[in-house]
Amino acid sequence: MLACLIPAVAGAVARFPKPDFTSGYQYPEIVHGVPFETLWSWVDVVLLVVMMGVVVWAVYYNPNLASNPNFNPNPNGWLSKEKRSRVAVVAVSVVSVLYFGFFRSGCVCSVGAIQNVVLALTDSSYHLPWVVLLVFLLPLVAALFFGRVFCGGVCPFGALQDLVNVRNLRISRAVSGALSVIPWIYLAFAILYAATRSQFIICRFDPFIGIFRLGGDVGMIVFGAVLLLLSVFVGRPFCQFLCPYGALLGLFSRVARRKVEVTPHPCINCTLCHDVCPMDAIRPPEANKNPEHRQRGMKRVLLYMVMLPLFMVAGALLLASQSQTLSIAHKDVRLYTLLQHADEPLAEVEAFHEMGRSEEELKVKVEEVQRQYWIWSLVAGGLIGCVVGIKLLSLTLKRTRKTYEVDASACVACAKCFNYCPQNKKIN
Amino acid sequence: MERRKFLATCGTLLAGGSLAAMGSVLAVKASRNEGDMMWQIDPEKCVQCGRCQTECVLPVSAVKCFHANQVCGYCDLCGGYYRANVKELNTAAENMMCPTGAIQRKFVEEPYFEYTIDEELCNGCGKCVKGCSSFGNGSLFLQIQQERCLGCNECKISKVCVSGAIQRVPVGTAYKLKEHA
Repeated sequence: MLACLIPAVAGAVARFPKPDFTSGYQYPEIVHGVPFETLWSWVDVVLLVVMMGVVVWAVYYNPNLASNPNFNPNPNGWLSKEKRSRVAVVAVSVVSVLYFGFFRSGCVCSVGAIQNVVLALTDSSYHLPWVVLLVFLLPLVAALFFGRVFCGGVCPFGALQDLVNVRNLRISRAVSGALSVIPWIYLAFAILYAATRSQFIICRFDPFIGIFRLGGDVGMIVFGAVLLLLSVFVGRPFCQFLCPYGALLGLFSRVARRKVEVTPHPCINCTLCHDVCPMDAIRPPEANKNPEHRQRGMKRVLLYMVMLPLFMVAGALLLASQSQTLSIAHKDVRLYTLLQHADEPLAEVEAFHEMGRSEEELKVKVEEVQRQYWIWSLVAGGLIGCVVGIKLLSLTLKRTRKTYEVDASACVACAKCFNYCPQNKKIN
Repeated sequence: MERRKFLATCGTLLAGGSLAAMGSVLAVKASRNEGDMMWQIDPEKCVQCGRCQTECVLPVSAVKCFHANQVCGYCDLCGGYYRANVKELNTAAENMMCPTGAIQRKFVEEPYFEYTIDEELCNGCGKCVKGCSSFGNGSLFLQIQQERCLGCNECKISKVCVSGAIQRVPVGTAYKLKEHA
């Protein structure tokens, strides 16, 4: 089989001499253009900051929004007709979908930047561009001060889902609680595959990129269309149940300096904000009917705390035991398996032989890759175990709520609830 | 309530601190860069498997055939232009190597022909490149046309490239051209 292969021709070989033209022929000048990518990527960063600023202004400082305690609407003022509306956030969403989505074709995004950052931390040969770093860090910094203002309308994925959202069918708390572990599992696998230089799974399985690019992988476009259709009835399904960056932002916005409030006035428990929230982030009042003895509660919390490391170890070992299977995602491991089992001449195998690589050299590489897989699946499994443990712990904690309260980690600052709260319609 | 406030402040400081630490480590890394990185094919490694044509996320691949005139032999019987073992050497479609008719040639002087690639028609299949590198000087080669490339965070072709020829390159050397034989 190998004998009939065309030998590898590396570069130019000059089988034929350079022609000596007698007619005064001149070699044509061909210039291959390079787009001024740097300019656009800095426009991205500037727009990211400006748009997050607009959302912060709209949610926290807009004088026309009643969430400001110094609420004093000026009936003749700018935006006066739209007062207490989320018009600014919608405007940001539209700009985001058009610019970040369709014009910049959704790349590079903060969600995918997680992988670049992981790769930069693990692979010294990888060059992390400044823009990617900023796109990753800025929304997290913003979350530390103002919550998930990035998700509100700046992220083109969130914006797209929010713009088509009409109704919010509620999933039971138990189901959505269990599903909320998925983003963390997704994050753990994204870290595993990025750190082992296998694949950027967040980019590979990005549901909306095909829509923004008006083309691409059919399966992913169908997945994106289904998610988009779903988001008409269920608010932001990607943000709620898939987005790994949203999970990170949620963690940071838990300790944010300022948190979104539906209204500065007292809550009247009318449930309107709860019904309209696309993220199901507004927790209804809850009476703790069977108050537990404090000591018993503390004991249980401590037990779960002790069990947390056990969960982590179990997760780590479980995933590490599967690291051999997982490592098939790496190109070299796949090639090695193909070399062992290929019956028909595959392009990969042919190219491998054409390049004159030896199987021993590849085997050494594969063993190194599998060793890395073992280490990183320990990390990823540990992370999953940790998240599951904390989730279970949080399920055991019951907190009494007298009014509707915003869960800062789930709230995306979309400002939808402001319009609906009857207390906001009051003019002092 | 005081206890909760204290915990919240601790949390903020912890989150802010870890963010600042990670940010500074990454900033040190990022400051070592020499500008943007772009995806590009190394023609020395490319084996023309044909996946560039089908795997690019664009409807028509951003990979195009480039032609180095300085390397070309200007042959009449061109391995990239004609298919192997054609019966008659004329420009009938069945004799052409290029499936889209993107290679055009112009008579220069006896016996030389100048070949040019119509980038609009080229789909990056690499058939001509294979022909030229097997029978000619290897003046045809595949490159990612940077003005068409979307610059995906991770090039989809690079993940299936059989020879690992697609790598990130600094913007200063956005093309790996063949200039001299």
